[in-house]
Amino acid sequence: MDVILAAINDAFTWQALLAIVIGTWAGIIIGGLPGLGSVVGLTIFLPFTFGMDVITSMALLIGVYCGSVYGGSITAILINTPGTPQSAATTFDGYPMTQQGRVDEALGWATFASFFGGVLSCVLLIFCAPQLAKFAVNFGSIEVFALVCLAMLCIVGISRGSLLKGLVCGMMGFFFSTVGSDPITGADRFTFGTYALSSGLDLIPVVVGAFALSEVFVRFSARDEEATTIPEARLRFPNLREIGRRLIELVRGSFIGSFVGALPGTGAAAAAFISYAAAQKLSPRRANLGKGEPDGIIASESSNNAVTGSAFIPTLALGIPGDVVTAMMMGAMVIHGITPGVRLMVDQAQTVYALFVVLIIVNVAMLVLSKPSIGLFRYLFKLPLGFVMGGIVMFSFIGAVSVRGNPLDLVVAALTGILAYVLRRGGYPLAPLVIGMVLGPELESSLRRGLLISRGDFFSFFTHSGIATTLFALIGLFLVWTTVAGVLDWRAKIAARREPVSPSSSRA
Amino acid sequence: MTSLRYSLAALALIGATHSAVAADNLDIIVPFAAGGATDIVARSFEPIFSQQLGVTSVVRNVAGASATVGTAEVANSEGNPNIIGYEPAGALSIQPSLKKLPYGPDSFTYICRTVSNPMFLMVSKSSDIESFKQLVEESQEYPFLYGSSGPGTLPHLAMAALTVNSDLKAEHVPYSGSGPAMNALAGNEIQIMADTETILENYDLRPLAVFAENRVEGYPDVPTMQELGLAEMDFAVWQGVVAPKGISEERTQQYAEACKATVESDKFKSFADKAKADIAYLGPDEFKAFVQKRFAANKQVLKDAGLTP
Amino acid sequence: MFAFLIHPRVLTALALLLAGAGLSITAWQGPASAMLVPRIVLTIWCVVALAILIGELIRRVPVKRVTLTPLPLLMAAVLIAAIATASLGFLIPALPLVALTLWLFRIRRPLPLLLGTIVIGGGLWFLFHHVLMIRLPALLTNGVI
Repeated sequence: MDVILAAINDAFTWQALLAIVIGTWAGIIIGGLPGLGSVVGLTIFLPFTFGMDVITSMALLIGVYCGSVYGGSITAILINTPGTPQSAATTFDGYPMTQQGRVDEALGWATFASFFGGVLSCVLLIFCAPQLAKFAVNFGSIEVFALVCLAMLCIVGISRGSLLKGLVCGMMGFFFSTVGSDPITGADRFTFGTYALSSGLDLIPVVVGAFALSEVFVRFSARDEEATTIPEARLRFPNLREIGRRLIELVRGSFIGSFVGALPGTGAAAAAFISYAAAQKLSPRRANLGKGEPDGIIASESSNNAVTGSAFIPTLALGIPGDVVTAMMMGAMVIHGITPGVRLMVDQAQTVYALFVVLIIVNVAMLVLSKPSIGLFRYLFKLPLGFVMGGIVMFSFIGAVSVRGNPLDLVVAALTGILAYVLRRGGYPLAPLVIGMVLGPELESSLRRGLLISRGDFFSFFTHSGIATTLFALIGLFLVWTTVAGVLDWRAKIAARREPVSPSSSRA
Repeated sequence: MTSLRYSLAALALIGATHSAVAADNLDIIVPFAAGGATDIVARSFEPIFSQQLGVTSVVRNVAGASATVGTAEVANSEGNPNIIGYEPAGALSIQPSLKKLPYGPDSFTYICRTVSNPMFLMVSKSSDIESFKQLVEESQEYPFLYGSSGPGTLPHLAMAALTVNSDLKAEHVPYSGSGPAMNALAGNEIQIMADTETILENYDLRPLAVFAENRVEGYPDVPTMQELGLAEMDFAVWQGVVAPKGISEERTQQYAEACKATVESDKFKSFADKAKADIAYLGPDEFKAFVQKRFAANKQVLKDAGLTP
Repeated sequence: MFAFLIHPRVLTALALLLAGAGLSITAWQGPASAMLVPRIVLTIWCVVALAILIGELIRRVPVKRVTLTPLPLLMAAVLIAAIATASLGFLIPALPLVALTLWLFRIRRPLPLLLGTIVIGGGLWFLFHHVLMIRLPALLTNGVI
């Protein structure tokens, strides 16, 4: 108990609180700007932490991290351009709501779901970190392969109406992720003899091109129409009754995010897609998903922010960083003489508890700061369209080139932007491209590792462990369910076509 | 909004003064993303180093392709006296033999080696294997799996050399970094891993042998490979500073002196202690000879293990 | 004779199919273990693209009237600026690109155009390159611009 009180004392110093406010606010803005994401934000702030004490530097970095994951949803909702890849799933329902004039509601749900997911994952982190870490260790390559396959299936749900086009975009994204060195043998693939391509295609430039630049091109064609003006950003929090109605969605999203975050090497973008896929099967309002349903925003935002807390589970319990961002935090800990590892919870209990307190304060700060941050975006988006678009182009360029300091990434972003524009004009959904690219590397390397472990026997995957069998059974169930639903849908359509008058089939 | 305007003005002012002073600007390339193990050492090295040199420096993270992209950037800046690279062992001594790169071991002006940590052969504490002999025996019936932080990394090479030079039967399963490999070791997906003391301590593993000439301080019971009756195998994770070719002799000397002063400074020493990095300074000539020796040795290992033709 | 092919959607599907087929050739020539997953992915790509092509040929959504827009100009400018960054540094290609974007988005009065270019192009570059120390590609070896 003394340790906890001392930890609270550590976290409530003015330096730490100031760091939280600055970090969270800067994180929200950086996350909201298309192209700049969590990694760029943390790279900006990392050098400042060298002169701070450990709690203050953690507070700053955690603030930037959590803020940026939430901030990405603001532009996803307002202009259909996710500020970070983690928020790509938020566009599915967020932007339709904006088009329907429900911006305030969409931003309110995104903010509240982010807060809820963040806090719930903190609670899980505090009370169940060792148990969750132990469970996550059971997820070897084969189990991860099954899980990622299941997540991949959400392409089917997202590309409703144009399944084939969604599938081809998914494969394109998957293909993009295979360019460069093979993760298992190290051989170069699809580099066509150019050394510059051997480092592969990074996710950020592709997302920048597919969403931000292609959005600039799409808005360009309609630049003189009234409809292209960006609606004024406002925020209205859901009331208690509304929250109660969707509580189960919030809890499900947060739990999925917390669990995926606890697995090393998956991350917030994957969590958001998995959670969205789950909502498509389980939400009572699933028929409206993709057409402007708050459940979709909740699924995406509660899960990606839940990752922020639970990514610390493997870090704190085992010393294994859950993603790039927690790896950076571990680096910051090392600078201050704290060695993450199996003994961290025992040796540094006070610091770890202070970290928990900081995480909770950050989430509260995020809720409080959401209003002024959205105010800033309202101010920015009120500028003439040209300035906004010029700014988006510039931020996209900065984001793409700074993610790993490679000028080739700019060319990748520009080419993806042009490709994405052509695809959008042809009626191809772009989200599967990002899903393919996010999940592809993990799917491939877990499959190849699984084959090494099972000595080349793919069929033994199904019986490798209880978890694997269950997950594969779920995949089978999903496929059967989707096929049956598809056939029923098709028969209903045929029946409707036989009717003499069919008002729904008239196409403009 | 006024507060915002003031803070922007203040920021601009800081920037303006900053660049006015920074007539001499040094880019320190780190070929990994910010926050990684190498990056952290580089970022602790950078302020002391630039102070010694009397310049303003910036750490630039140029990541990708097993650290070769950033390394190539240094090699391609021939004659530029304002760029150096903080390089890991793999990019200098392994990758050039593995694939076609725009640089080789002769593309640099070597400045200094900063730190070096010997590698250990280790297994999980939950396993019942206590010695290298037992490991070899148990591997005969059913080969073990060893993890690594990726194909062509030092953990991979050390284990490949060991399987070639001993009766140990083990196969390679690469992961995307030490973290995921440790997760796999905890879940018994793999059984063996070769890595440094940091990993050994953090994850509470059992060392069976050390890839070094002599026993390592703090681990008096861990035998070297030669003591186990095997060929000499010397694998260590080291880092060093390189500059592009074609810089003046004078500049090289300046760098080398600044580097020596940095690694001998108390500040860097106390950091290295915290990060469990063993300071192992080598001057320009010794470092060059060292890299060339390691390069040749690693090339042989790659050939023996069938990883390169 | 091939006039039925000149339809944007049909062309897009055809291009996808050809790209997939071309990449498949590379994939089948490469080493079997490294190319295992790309082969599966590209096979699905080709099959699906073929199905889409057939679908587009059957459906034939009526072509919208083509109007001449300067959109290809904007796309080309973005691409050229991206390519030029590697050799000219970040600032020099960025300024004309921002100016062109503003111009095309109907910001044509000289003062807002000039100010916008300087603030969005130059200002952001300065903020990141010199204040936040996130180094963008530079023209000069000492990194000033």
